[in-house]
Amino acid sequence: MDANTNGLKMDFLSSSMLNSSTSMEKISMIVNRVKNGDLVVIEGGLTPEEEAELIEATMREIDVDNFMGIDIYTLEKDKKSFFGLSKSKIVGITIIGPANVMKAVKKKSNFLSMIANLGDLNASMH
Amino acid sequence: MVSMPRFLKRKFFKDLINKLFGNDKKLKIGFYGHPNSGKTTLANRMTNDWIGKPIGLVSEIPHETRRVYRQEHVTLSHDDLELDFDIIDTPGIATKIDYKNFLEFGLSETEAKERAKEATKGIIEAIKWLDDVTGVLLVIDSTKDPLTQANITIMGNLEARKIPFIIVANKIDLPEASPDKIHSVFPQHTVIPISALQGEHISDLYQAMVDKF
Repeated sequence: MDANTNGLKMDFLSSSMLNSSTSMEKISMIVNRVKNGDLVVIEGGLTPEEEAELIEATMREIDVDNFMGIDIYTLEKDKKSFFGLSKSKIVGITIIGPANVMKAVKKKSNFLSMIANLGDLNASMH
Repeated sequence: MVSMPRFLKRKFFKDLINKLFGNDKKLKIGFYGHPNSGKTTLANRMTNDWIGKPIGLVSEIPHETRRVYRQEHVTLSHDDLELDFDIIDTPGIATKIDYKNFLEFGLSETEAKERAKEATKGIIEAIKWLDDVTGVLLVIDSTKDPLTQANITIMGNLEARKIPFIIVANKIDLPEASPDKIHSVFPQHTVIPISALQGEHISDLYQAMVDKF
């Protein structure tokens, strides 16, 4: 959340920027931004180990009155293979935000829609 | 010539492989999944079935299990095969915890905040245990959307660590259960629909555990 405008701040991070950081730098960069109320959109995805580290780092930062954790959503795309035979998917973009802001997320295989809640600080829990 | 019973054959090859690769680690099966997916209910059913006592307390309030519970030496016999393992019942993994959700279950604000703080530590402990388990039962509530970040993260980490796992599609006794949805979103994995509470199809799970672990 941007304190000056009372709006939602969204940071878009390119894969080249992320690839130049260590896993620890990536995780702290994401957690610091999200804890501050910002939404982070990253090109590509995190590795499974980084995802586990992100959950762990989030749990350490949870403060029951002010920060209740994160929500993560991904949008996949088809992985290009040399012969065009592969049907596997890779993560195209990842959206990470504060759990009390990310509301009503609709997800289909090639579509992601989200409503950010800027007023109500009550969040539901998975 | 008298042929060797299957379980002895299996034990023989397991011992041989362990010897060859110096891997004499105990079989430790972790119960993973979301809060309230039924991990402890399933762990209790298994320990009741095989050693005659429950492992932990079950309740409707999420994050009832807030630290790892361990039961050693559970020996499962199924179809002439034996599996000796430790049960590691872990706290449910989530990416967020809102203490206000606990208020709905009659907890005071102080108790709810305390439970939320303990739950964060439990989740960290559950993640740390991923380095120690040798097999996993990923318990998913069949009445909920299975495609969640916690499930994806758990599976990704198991695959990266080459830890065998079975997806347990739990709560099929409920009318809104949809275990087929779990099959359809994770077609590449073994999915066993069960009701840990009612004991439905538990023998299918035991069979899969003997085959997979």
